[in-house]
Amino acid sequence: MNNKILTMPAAGAETEIMPVRGRVVKSQWTFNLLTFLMVLGPGLIVMVADNDAGAVSTYIQAGAQYGTHLLWVILLLLPVTYFIQEMVVRLGIATGKGHAAMIYQRFGKWWGLFSLADLELVNFLTLVTEFAAIDLACANLGIDPWIGVPVAATVLVTIAVTGSYRRWERMTVALCLLDLVWLYLAWRLHPPLADLAHGLVPGIPQGGLTGDLTFLVIAIVGTTVAPWQLFFQQSCIADKKLRFADVKWARLDTFLGACITIAVAGCMLIAGNYSRIHGFKFDDPARMANNLLPIASWFVRNALLLLMINAALLGATAISLSSAWAYGEVRGWPHSLELPFQKAKGFYGVYGLSVALAAGIVLIPKAPLQLIILSVQVLAGVMLPSAIIFLQLLLNDRELLGAHANKPWNNLVNWTIIVVLFGLSMILAAQVAAPNLFPAS
Amino acid sequence: MATAMNSLQTEELENRFVVIHPLDDVPEEKVDTESLGPMAMTWSVRISLVSLRAYLVSMMLLVLYHALNLAGLLGRH
Repeated sequence: MNNKILTMPAAGAETEIMPVRGRVVKSQWTFNLLTFLMVLGPGLIVMVADNDAGAVSTYIQAGAQYGTHLLWVILLLLPVTYFIQEMVVRLGIATGKGHAAMIYQRFGKWWGLFSLADLELVNFLTLVTEFAAIDLACANLGIDPWIGVPVAATVLVTIAVTGSYRRWERMTVALCLLDLVWLYLAWRLHPPLADLAHGLVPGIPQGGLTGDLTFLVIAIVGTTVAPWQLFFQQSCIADKKLRFADVKWARLDTFLGACITIAVAGCMLIAGNYSRIHGFKFDDPARMANNLLPIASWFVRNALLLLMINAALLGATAISLSSAWAYGEVRGWPHSLELPFQKAKGFYGVYGLSVALAAGIVLIPKAPLQLIILSVQVLAGVMLPSAIIFLQLLLNDRELLGAHANKPWNNLVNWTIIVVLFGLSMILAAQVAAPNLFPAS
Repeated sequence: MATAMNSLQTEELENRFVVIHPLDDVPEEKVDTESLGPMAMTWSVRISLVSLRAYLVSMMLLVLYHALNLAGLLGRH
């Protein structure tokens, strides 16, 4: 391949010549591959970051309590999460703006501010849970959380404030690729293949449809399809300045990310199942990792704890950025990772402040972390269906999207998803209002 | 000489493909969302959104009450 870097005037720019850096390649195949690799990022990151600390805990708990019986639920969420994020791809590329800006401009000030306030609140509480996981994993690895948590916060701020979107994206994609260690870990645990195959067939685990099972399923759905993802990916696409010609590659990026996140979620469930097979009761992922030390290996135990930190770091950077982007869009502040700190102080300020406050709360002795975790689950459950309704309305806005608007089959699939999510949200609401409504087990 | 070089480059480019990173490319013209203003909505959509607003506000209050109750700030469990 005789590639070279080329700088040339932009095509069609007759009056104003703007230099464009490009790479010349000989074959269509190489062109497609390189274009995909250049577009790759927002979809992969949003999906893999979705397997954050809360997700690690939820999937492992699902495996520890119900074995591989809930694998089919996770598999079913692959098309759901892809369809939702694919709409975000089209909206982001067509408008070149973030989700918060779109809601503010198309639905008015009330909805714009309500969505922003709701997003900022849920994101901040989620961020606290990410740092709580880092704190827990550090303590179990023998690292003082008073050192580990501030170091993690510093890393998160450092990777974002370099003034280069590409630098942030490369570092975050590297963290995403580290998540693939889950696949190796699951293979090391030798899951029974017959159980895996059985788990992929929809069915109710032994014991029937109890309250615990219902809420675990809601938690799995809530952790796989989260409101911040809509805001994050659209803003990320806008910041990366993806073009109409990139739509198909951005879809592939999103699909690849969805496949990886679902495969990794399945591996987490397998880890939980391994602990169940050996008769351990599930308390939290860190304790489970310690329980596995005598029967698995030093590698398995430490890998589980390090992967917990990796998941929390990925979740934290994506969630903090979705907050910072959304705030910048609504306030009209400069909001791009391409800008140096001096030119986007508000944007980086929101990012840094969220990270610093969340890290600080975790280090407060006797902070109400359990209450925060519960609030995150409930608020995310309440917010998600409404966030998707706005997405659905925006995707049917032909004035805004033209040829990129939803087709009838898109609407059929998405309204089905919305109805199911609203049903789950109502169950969650009923449980909050009347905690004794469902039998415990 | 310069012209010959240019025509040689053009001929070479015709048989090759140029990959450009989105951040290095000329900014693409997007929909001018600010000039569009608020979305035109039918009455049914408006009523649905008002219902959604009522649902969300009541749910937020319910969650707040539940959180305060769990934190023991309302004086009972």
